[in-house]
Amino acid sequence: MRRSTIIVLIALFAGVALFAGSYLITQQLCTKHLVGSADDLTWLRQEFHLSDGELANVRELHQGYLPKCAEMCTKIAAKKREIEATLTTNNLNEARESLGRELDELALLRAKCQFQMLQHFSDVSRAMPPEQGRRYLAEMQRLTLGFHEQIEQSMSGSADHAHGHH
Amino acid sequence: MKDPSFDTDPDRLGALLRASRATPPLPPRFQENVWRRIEYAATHATPLERDSWFDALATWILRPRLAFVAVAVLVLTGVGLGWSKGEQLARQDAQARYLAAVAPNPLR
Repeated sequence: MRRSTIIVLIALFAGVALFAGSYLITQQLCTKHLVGSADDLTWLRQEFHLSDGELANVRELHQGYLPKCAEMCTKIAAKKREIEATLTTNNLNEARESLGRELDELALLRAKCQFQMLQHFSDVSRAMPPEQGRRYLAEMQRLTLGFHEQIEQSMSGSADHAHGHH
Repeated sequence: MKDPSFDTDPDRLGALLRASRATPPLPPRFQENVWRRIEYAATHATPLERDSWFDALATWILRPRLAFVAVAVLVLTGVGLGWSKGEQLARQDAQARYLAAVAPNPLR
């Protein structure tokens, strides 16, 4: 291989290595630094530009909500275990009545939990400046309930498509 | 006939041999012409004329000022983009952390 070819190749390799190295090292250090100093509410403070006072109010609401959320999660987990036990120990035909009742209870628990969650989002949005509060509420609805809407829309879309073929 | 004094005096023999070699005289203005050719080669022979474009590129890359600028640009660009990506990843992580705290997966 000619000397000039080797020089150009080494220069290219060194350039790529230098860029990739500085990019990856900085990314790692930055992520590590920012994630290390973060808590549950860091995203709210950054994304919705909250002042210290507003963040303190939101933190109070957050701390008050967490035990209620944990209690509901425990109830939902217990109900799911109950349903699993019913499914594994009984014949589906025999357990139809109790299974239906347990699924209704699970759905009710989930609905209560979602209602409680939406109430919390509403409370938090009122602790923020009005514009940021509206944005927060919309964002949280998109991130929590929007997921279900996407699934339902995709399912109804595929159902329409399937009906079209019949 | 062999001169017996050469056996005892090697310096005399060496001097005689040097004197016997004929050294032709240099052409007129020889030294001046040599320097003129060297100067011409240094000023007129550009890399493209001298070699292929690849050789010219290699020569260009090896210039210290260009190498320094290239290193600085690459490092600064890498640091800038890496910082931006790091911030984006940290933001996503913070958002996921908040969501996990207030809206556990079964509710979403």
